[in-house]
Amino acid sequence: MADVPQIAASVVSLQQHLEAHRYICSAQIATAVYLAYHLRKPVLIEGPPGVGKTELAKTTAEMFDLPLIRLQCYEGLDEAKALYEWKYGKQLLYTQVLKQTLDEVLQGAKGFAESVKRLHEFGDIFFSEEFLEARPLLKALQEERGCVLLIDEVDKSDHEFESLLLEILSDYQVSIPEIGTVRARREPPLVFLTSNNTREISDALKRRCLHLYIPFPDIELEQRIINARVPAIPPQLRAQLVRFIHGLRDLDLKKVPSISETIDWARTLLLLHADRLDPELVSNTMNVILKFQEDIENVQPELRTLTEKATKESD
Amino acid sequence: MDQLLTQFIGALRNADIRISTAETLDALSTVELVGYSDRRLLKDSLSLVLPKTLDEKAAFDTCFDQFFSFGERASLPPAAADSDVALSGDAAGQAGNGQTGAGGDAQDQRTGNARPGTPRQQTNAITTPGQDDTTAALGGGEMSEPQSPLGQLLVRGNQLEITIAINTAGRQVNVHEIEVFTQKGVYTRRIMDAMGQAELQQEITRLTDSAAIPDRRRAVDLTHRRDWLRERVRDYVEHQFLLHADVTGRRLREDLLRDVRLSALEQRHHRLLQDLVLRMARRLISEHSRRRKVFRRGQLHVPRTLRRNMKYDDAVFDLQWKSVKVDRPKVFAVCDVSGSVSAYARFMLMFLYSLDEVLPKVRSFAFSSDLGEVSELFARTSVDEAIAIALKQYGSGSTDYGQAFADFRRLCLDEVDNRATVIILGDARNNYGDARTDVLKELYDRSKRVIWLNPEPRTMWNTGDSEMRHYAPYCHQVDECSTLAHLERIVGRLLRAVV
Repeated sequence: MADVPQIAASVVSLQQHLEAHRYICSAQIATAVYLAYHLRKPVLIEGPPGVGKTELAKTTAEMFDLPLIRLQCYEGLDEAKALYEWKYGKQLLYTQVLKQTLDEVLQGAKGFAESVKRLHEFGDIFFSEEFLEARPLLKALQEERGCVLLIDEVDKSDHEFESLLLEILSDYQVSIPEIGTVRARREPPLVFLTSNNTREISDALKRRCLHLYIPFPDIELEQRIINARVPAIPPQLRAQLVRFIHGLRDLDLKKVPSISETIDWARTLLLLHADRLDPELVSNTMNVILKFQEDIENVQPELRTLTEKATKESD
Repeated sequence: MDQLLTQFIGALRNADIRISTAETLDALSTVELVGYSDRRLLKDSLSLVLPKTLDEKAAFDTCFDQFFSFGERASLPPAAADSDVALSGDAAGQAGNGQTGAGGDAQDQRTGNARPGTPRQQTNAITTPGQDDTTAALGGGEMSEPQSPLGQLLVRGNQLEITIAINTAGRQVNVHEIEVFTQKGVYTRRIMDAMGQAELQQEITRLTDSAAIPDRRRAVDLTHRRDWLRERVRDYVEHQFLLHADVTGRRLREDLLRDVRLSALEQRHHRLLQDLVLRMARRLISEHSRRRKVFRRGQLHVPRTLRRNMKYDDAVFDLQWKSVKVDRPKVFAVCDVSGSVSAYARFMLMFLYSLDEVLPKVRSFAFSSDLGEVSELFARTSVDEAIAIALKQYGSGSTDYGQAFADFRRLCLDEVDNRATVIILGDARNNYGDARTDVLKELYDRSKRVIWLNPEPRTMWNTGDSEMRHYAPYCHQVDECSTLAHLERIVGRLLRAVV
């Protein structure tokens, strides 16, 4: 089992441990995890797609050796899917089965008032935890050792859902009308929320979170990331392809290539046994890094200059 | 309460970063956790806690650097004050490594006494221009005692005393009234004067002219110390400026801009105006995004149906439906971009496209004589560029509303249905051409709303070649729209009507 307090003792140690789990990050990112752990505050991660927002949560869970509970947000997500749901089938079944028992209980009761009184003695058994189906948010609170809760793409959900999150994010508790308030067991979960900024997240939610913006990494950092993820790639090719990608990001594209695409590309080139970039190779593997035909066509005339620039700079 | 931090937060708020009390408390516990000793860590940590958007993060970066530069810059002058002759090793040690205090024994001693917690005091204590230092630097030559009070203060070199003196002088000259950045020089000077610069200056002049070597040594020394003090005072004024000023100037300008006719605005205001538009739009978004209608129909929601009907002994008669349908309004913006109206078109389009969260389906068209769709342009490029291109493409001809309406009819009449709102922005000056009110009537019949926004004042309508009186009957709403305030009101009303 991971020694969590030891790992989280300093930013440097966190950064090293994240690196050991093949997540290369800047000090800023490690600081975010450090603060999240010590202040027990959720982290809202924003940034362009594919810079490792979700990956950070996953790696943190792995590093701390905690279970990862993931909630993928989408339009129309509601509390029945995110928080809890009653087990209707079970409730129905039990009422049918218990009908006889009920008859027995009620036997000999004089009048309506007394019957009701006897029924009351049963309490609200049908609305107890036995019949509660925990969905990700509730499950995260119930984890005995604590966990990492990842609320992915929170910007895709509705405004109503955001408000639903407020209680759990600030106090690590949820209120269920039939039961009462459920609080986090011993360790409150470490919460990561990711957003692609398709819409503005409300101030109320932002106020409760640490706000981490992950930009595209600089050349050096991205080379280290590639090195960690695709260790077999020759260093020269690695330098060239990272510089090429950085050149692409400066162009006006519909979707700029992200880190995950750089990694895919590195794997592709490795598979093709390439040892340096040349325009033809780039042109043939373009569809790995650019996902729109329009972009590929736009980049085509620039290919030669971009490739030359990338190879020259890294030599 | 940590005073330095609250001051910093004050400065951030002045720089237009919105920070709530809850966030201030967070920042406090963050600082408790990470401390002030590691500047990089402090900056990283606070930038996670305080700013919550990308823009705010950029503003935070500058603010942090300016605010916490105070202690850092103050650590350099003593090295400079020690003249260029000797001490280069010692000076470099100080300059490069202010925190560890590589200076003489005297300095180490002071470091020990320094109260940990606030960086200013820490660094300052280390870098005190002590007398021992200076003497050593000038090769052990003795110096005469300074006569002026300010000179004595500087030679004593007690940081705390100097800071107090600067603060007192600052209060004397009401530095908190500073409003715009051009006043920084003036206030620096006033504070120096209040601290007794004149007297010190006289003394320096007198000592320089003196025949005695110790006197002249003292003169050089005092000159350095005075320059160092001036730096300190400048930093102090900078601080005060960050704390007290900026925002007043900005608000003033923004209030003015809201009510100025959009065509009269100058290029240099555009950036500020863009911010203003964005902020207005964001407010409208937060007001209206909750108003989206929710329709419950579609698939049967089995669990909910069962649950609701349990009380009826499982006789299912209260059906529950799944699916939340969001009704998205369509907006067609038709903008005259000929010379006279283009400035208004620019801001209306900017406004509409800032609202894409609540109005995701805006289609825009530009015309002067021929009309063309520019939605794609706005989707791909930034608002500024898109407007420039649209103006170049469509803004050259003479205005012809008839032709424009005919083009619009041809392009997308089919898509104008009872959910569509058509906004027409133009002065309705048709150069006496055919008005084609029949097309407008058709739009009026088909759409949910036709809104005409005219940038001219109402009194000017219907004069000359203005066709307003012919167009107005076929509009649900006709408004004057010449300032941002107008625009905001109209768009707000539009949102209430369509969303």
